[in-house]
Parts: sequence; structure tokens; C-alpha cells
Amino acid sequence: MSDTPRLGDELKRLEEIVRRLEDDSLDLDKALELFEEGVKRLKSAQGQLDAAEIRVRQVLSESADGSGPVRTEPIDG
Amino acid sequence: MSAFDEAWTVSRLAQTIKRRVEEDFPAVWVRGELVGVKRYPSGHLYFSLRDPMAKVDCTMWRSAAGRLKVPLEEGTEVFALGTANVWEERTSLRFNVVQILPAAGIGATAQAVERTKQALLADGLLDPARKRPLPAFAARIAVVTSIAGAALHDIITVARRRWPAVELLVVNSAVQGESAPAELVRALRIVAQLDAIDCCIVGRGGGAKEDLAAFNDEAVCRAIAASAVPVICAVGHEVDITLADLVADVRAATPSQAAEFALPDRVEVQRHVSRDRAALITALTRLVELRRERVERTRDRLAGAVLERQRGAERRLLNARARLAPALTRAVTKPREQLARWRLQLMPAMTRMLTARRAGVSRLAAQLDALSPVAVLGRGYAVARDAGGKVIRHTTDVTVGAPITLTLSDGDLAARVEER
Repeated sequence: MSDTPRLGDELKRLEEIVRRLEDDSLDLDKALELFEEGVKRLKSAQGQLDAAEIRVRQVLSESADGSGPVRTEPIDG
Repeated sequence: MSAFDEAWTVSRLAQTIKRRVEEDFPAVWVRGELVGVKRYPSGHLYFSLRDPMAKVDCTMWRSAAGRLKVPLEEGTEVFALGTANVWEERTSLRFNVVQILPAAGIGATAQAVERTKQALLADGLLDPARKRPLPAFAARIAVVTSIAGAALHDIITVARRRWPAVELLVVNSAVQGESAPAELVRALRIVAQLDAIDCCIVGRGGGAKEDLAAFNDEAVCRAIAASAVPVICAVGHEVDITLADLVADVRAATPSQAAEFALPDRVEVQRHVSRDRAALITALTRLVELRRERVERTRDRLAGAVLERQRGAERRLLNARARLAPALTRAVTKPREQLARWRLQLMPAMTRMLTARRAGVSRLAAQLDALSPVAVLGRGYAVARDAGGKVIRHTTDVTVGAPITLTLSDGDLAARVEER
């Protein structure tokens, strides 16, 4: 599992940033800070969009009823 | 006005009854015994349905009657689907039937499904309000299906095209046959243990079209209903809707469609991201522009204020000067004027005084003149003095024959006393 924020969260935050930037009373320093964050998130979002290959993994469990520990292993997509 | 004035017409009563009965009356399946079946030449069917407690008159119009696969047999037990209907002319109630199935022909399976459905209904699991929306940008999706089936392949294909950023976590399960219900329940239990899952697709591809039993299984349905994340059910069967379809948050006709529902289209999202980028830049530019304008405005206002203040000071200075000048002038002129005034007042007084004085002197001089012996002598008098020069005032002052001097106005005369 990756640590990068999910695209949905990125886009949601981006929209929030834009909304806040549309607030005329915003402090300019804060605006620049938000803008920089926005650029970072845009890059992250774009990166996720450009992600090369789909990941497919199989989830396995040794327990009969599926309540035991699980592990994953890649399968051929 | 009496209550009779408001009496209803019969038509109004009939219409009201009809409206009240038919309004929102759901289509229901009714189980009962067929009695009094009559087919009219028009093709319409008339009969009654009854059970030990009650009897309801029924109609079945020609269009519906024509679709009947088997003739209606008197006394047989049937399921009839219809709605309540009031025939206004007689205000008589009819159950208008659109479909009839012989109860005997309903398989044990169908009846079992119906029982399960009622149980799920009773627990509120079929309530549309339970349905959850799918996440807009699924990053991790659990897929419960046969790892060897066509469904998985279809889902991967769609995901690769639409949204390659996704991670699919596949939990293998039989989707038909004896073991399918238990395996599906187990798989859903495994899904429940996975972290950060956005949604879950439960489905199957091809397979025997008739074998949908696992997706009508109560335990499977309850496991789907219990899922912590939204479930898309994709049984790949267009015609029949399974109970799993009804319990799931979303029903997809096929596994491919399930993947389409679950995943955003990257083209669309790219548009979204580009829009966000533009919006971000526009917003900042606008903000900076706005700020610049504000700074300029403030500067202008500041300059104006300073100027205004300066002008104010100047104005006050001018004011002060204007008010001060006359005061100063007054301060200087006043004594001068006073002086002049005093002078003006003094001059005549002094003149008067001098004149008076002068007059006094003249008068005194005149008086002095008058007293002068010379002046007296001028009027013809003479002063007699003895030889010693002493003025002779009395006759006894001299002796006869004594020389005296007479002083006249223009000189002295030497004389001698002759007599006395």
C-alpha cells in the first residue's frame, strides 16, 4: 500500500484550495502557501493519473471461514 | 344552513370511494382459490378469489387474459397479481388481475426465494435508503469472484482502460454450485479484513444461466448487506434479478459494467485535474491582482490623507494668520490712535491755556502800564521830589524857598517853593 494520498482526497483538497483562494480576504502569504500545496497535489494527482500499470493481487486466507489472517500475492493480470 | 345543504351527490360519494381505494394501491400478489370463472365473448375474464375467510370479485381484461399460458381451472389454487379497482357505476370493488400463476407450478425454489426476500424485507435490508453511493475515485477495490472465471478478466480489462491507478484485491470464490454460498460468505468475510477498500464487486461471468441460487442465498445476502463498503453486485444475468442484486448498493448487469460503475474514466478525471490546475492559477492570479489593486488603492488613499492633512495644516495656518493680522494691527494701531486722539484732545486745551495765559499777561501789563507813574505823568501829572529826591506828598514836607525837582512826562524841571 502506498503512502501517497488518494486521488479523490487530492482532488477534494484541490477544490478546497481553489475555493479558499477565491476568498478575497485571504492573506497573501497564506494564498501562496495554498498555491504551492495545490501545485504539489496537482503533481501527485497527475502522477496517479499517469500510473503505468494496474495492480492485481489475490487475497488469501488459511482459515476455513475467512476470519483468520489474510495475505496477498500478485497474480497475473 | 343545515347539514342537508352540504349533502354529497351519489356521484361524489362514488368518486371519492374510488379515489380513496385506488390511490396508491400497490400491485400485490394474492394467493387464493379460483371460483366462478366466466369468460365473456369480449375476451374479458370474471372470477373470484377466496380463502376460508373472505372472497373478492376479480376482473382480468382481454389483453391480460390473452397472455395466460394455461386455462383457469375452477377450484385451483393460484397466485394473482393485480390492484384494487372500483367500478363507479355500481360502486363495487374489483381486484383487477394482470397475471395469474398456478400455485402448484411455483417451484419450491421460487417459494424459498420469496421467503428469504420477506425475511430480508422484514429486517429492512431491502430498504432503498440503505443504498450507499460509490466513491468517486476508487483506489482499492475488492473483487469477489472465481479467479478462473471470465468476470475477473472483464473487470481487469475495463480497469486497465479506465483507471489503471487502481489496485484490485481479488478474493477467489465459487460462484455457482453447492459450495458457492459458503465460499461467497467466506470471501466477503476476508474482504471485511482488508484495509482502505473503496468498494467491493461481487459477481460472476458466464456460467449456467439458471444457477443463480448462490445469489439468492440468505447468508450471502446478509453478508453483502453487512459489508462496510458499498457493494456492486454483478451476476451477469440481464433478466432475473437476484436477491443479492436487491441487497447490494448497486446492481450492475455485467462484471464489465460493475467495473465501469466502480472506476472513474481517466479521460474525464484528466479533464478535472486540468480544470483544477487552471482554477488554481486563475484564483491566485486574481488574488494577487486584487491585492495589488488594494495596495494601490491604499497608497492613493494614504497619499490623499497626507495631502489632506497638509492642506488642513496650511489652511489652519492661513486661518491663524488671517485672524492674527488684524489683532496685530489692532495692537499696534490702537496706541497710535490713542496718541493721536490724545494729541487732538490736548492741542486745543494747550492752545486755550496758552492763549489764556497770554491774555493774562497782557492784562497784567496793561494794569502795570496804568500804574506806571510815567503813564500818569503823561496824563499831565508831575512828581515833585525834594532835593534829596524824595517824593513830596504833603506840603509840610518842604520849606518855602526850598529847591524841588518836578518830573514831567518828558523830563525834569528845577523849581523853588514860593509859598505854602
